[in-house]
Amino acid sequence: MGNLLEIRDLKVSFATNTGKVNAVNGVSYSVKEGEIVGIVGESGSGKSVHALSIMQLITRSCGQIDSGSVKFRDIDLLALTPMKMRAIRGREIAMIFQDPISSLNPVYTIGFQMREVLECHLGITRAEAHDRSEQLLIQVGISDARQRLDSYPHELSGGMRQRVMIAIAMACDPSLLIADEPTTALDVTIQAQIVQLIKRLQREHNLTVIWISHDLGVIAGLAHTVNVMYAGMVVERGPVNDIYKSPCHPYTKGLLESVPRLDHKSETRLNSIPGSPPDMTRLPNECPFAPRCGHADDRCNTKMPIVETTYSQDHTVMCWNWRDVVNGDSHSDR
Amino acid sequence: MTDSDILIEVKGLKKYFPIKGGFVFDRQIGQVKAVDGVSFKIFRGETLGLVGESGSGKTTVGRTLLRLEEPTEGEILVEGEDFRTMRGEKLRLMRQRLQMIFQDPYSSLNPRMKVEALIAEPLELQSKYNRAAIRERVFELMDLVSLPRQFRDRYPHEFSGGQRQRIGIARSLALSPDLIVCDESIASLDVSIQAQIINLLEDLQSRLGLTFLFIAHDLRMVHHISSRIAVMYLGKIMELAPKRKIQHTPMHPYTKALISAIPVPDPQIDQESGQIVLAGDIPSPTNPPKGCVFCTRCPQAIDICIEKQPEYIEIEPEHFIACHLAVSS
Repeated sequence: MGNLLEIRDLKVSFATNTGKVNAVNGVSYSVKEGEIVGIVGESGSGKSVHALSIMQLITRSCGQIDSGSVKFRDIDLLALTPMKMRAIRGREIAMIFQDPISSLNPVYTIGFQMREVLECHLGITRAEAHDRSEQLLIQVGISDARQRLDSYPHELSGGMRQRVMIAIAMACDPSLLIADEPTTALDVTIQAQIVQLIKRLQREHNLTVIWISHDLGVIAGLAHTVNVMYAGMVVERGPVNDIYKSPCHPYTKGLLESVPRLDHKSETRLNSIPGSPPDMTRLPNECPFAPRCGHADDRCNTKMPIVETTYSQDHTVMCWNWRDVVNGDSHSDR
Repeated sequence: MTDSDILIEVKGLKKYFPIKGGFVFDRQIGQVKAVDGVSFKIFRGETLGLVGESGSGKTTVGRTLLRLEEPTEGEILVEGEDFRTMRGEKLRLMRQRLQMIFQDPYSSLNPRMKVEALIAEPLELQSKYNRAAIRERVFELMDLVSLPRQFRDRYPHEFSGGQRQRIGIARSLALSPDLIVCDESIASLDVSIQAQIINLLEDLQSRLGLTFLFIAHDLRMVHHISSRIAVMYLGKIMELAPKRKIQHTPMHPYTKALISAIPVPDPQIDQESGQIVLAGDIPSPTNPPKGCVFCTRCPQAIDICIEKQPEYIEIEPEHFIACHLAVSS
């Protein structure tokens, strides 16, 4: 299968009163057709900003894309004119957001907002768009779809709103869906519903998905490939089983250990990561995780690690001492 | 545990909020039954976890327990004394013993006060301390929550979320309380910082012999820190049991669904097989179902569930449940 999306050395920054914030510092990865890529990171790791840059939704605010390329099929998205980008956005690449109440327009009905997308991209008549909207709502599992088209966003629950968002995103049958923390604002029982829905849509439409989340649990059950982001960089990337079974970056390992699990003994202490995330106004020359890392040595504090391939070919890591991290793991197991 | 170990006992606690509206604005047109008849005990030195989804009334339980909201009905006994009818000096002294750590460390700290003033505030309200003693105690508290002493002249905005939460914890510890209500105290923090705060709370508990009521929506964290867990849904406790029972032999269909909805960070576990995905949403607390509050989403609901509210009973020692099915089987 070919690559649907290819990101090379993407850098994004924002000008603020306290200086330039380097939100994304050279992100490179590719997404295969039909694949679900999970992106894990804490707040401020640049995961949302890099997704917004793919959609070209960053340029209008104070942010700017400093360098890099984003290739979708054979099109360089960053070189497109705003008009051409509009034809792709929503049609070929769709996005769903964390907070469905602020992403839907409160003064228009659900039906109006769905028809808008369909009429704009597919050039179909109002009546056709109306019928298609109803089918889309049925597809995402909303009952009484016909009546719901006349509802306003505030009349729906959080889970229903997110279903509507997904229906709008799926309206033009896109090839790539970017989901930016779509279940963070929802309760766990509703989250399970939404995850199930996305999985079904992905199977039925051979959809390619980039799923951004801070919850390692959600990603584990969903993604094929996982990118772990820290300080605006992808510090580890690999197939989902490799990332969870043999994490090579100390940050990934720390994250996995700091989540309590119901199937584990709870008498043991959680392994927290000391310190707090780095200040993004400063461009580091050294490993950005070094101040919080138990494996850090002189080299980590002076030189930025390069991307290395680990024991398996698809699994890469940005850490000088990844072998120690892996071995340290096996020591503690014995 | 014996009765003398009971720090707090809550019996039939209810909190209804009025809904006002109509042509003249002060007419009451309905009520939100945020908490509707909740009973539990908290033993000295334990952590009772309270889980539930948004709108289940878990926060209101915490707030009415401390009388930040006056309960509509029910009893709150602190060491056997009636807390609800306490007034004046007695109430003031009792309040010192019951403290709270809030959810959002951004809005719960006054942005114009420095760290030292923030932590000293509860101490200044108590006349028994002089200036030097207050400063001494502030330093002691900062050490306790691992905040470097030189930070005392900084403002809250200069700190990260995790450090701010430490300030909040220091404030709640200032008057050496017996019980601390932690209301979603880690929900707004990043995963790696959550673990730091949980470890800190556990350390403080073992050093100071604190009792916690730990309120959260994240069953994983609640399970980790608590000795017993109460599961709430739409203003009522569905099941209350030691955490081992909640984990291994949950009896209430809602508890089972809640556990199965938690994503496990292990790709080799097939999360979909055997997962109970509940249909629909939590009903509105202004108009709860007539029978069991969970009957609209319960996969096992039978006729009686729709007709009659289940009683909250002790089905085994220390295992409370409100479900018709558990009683009949």
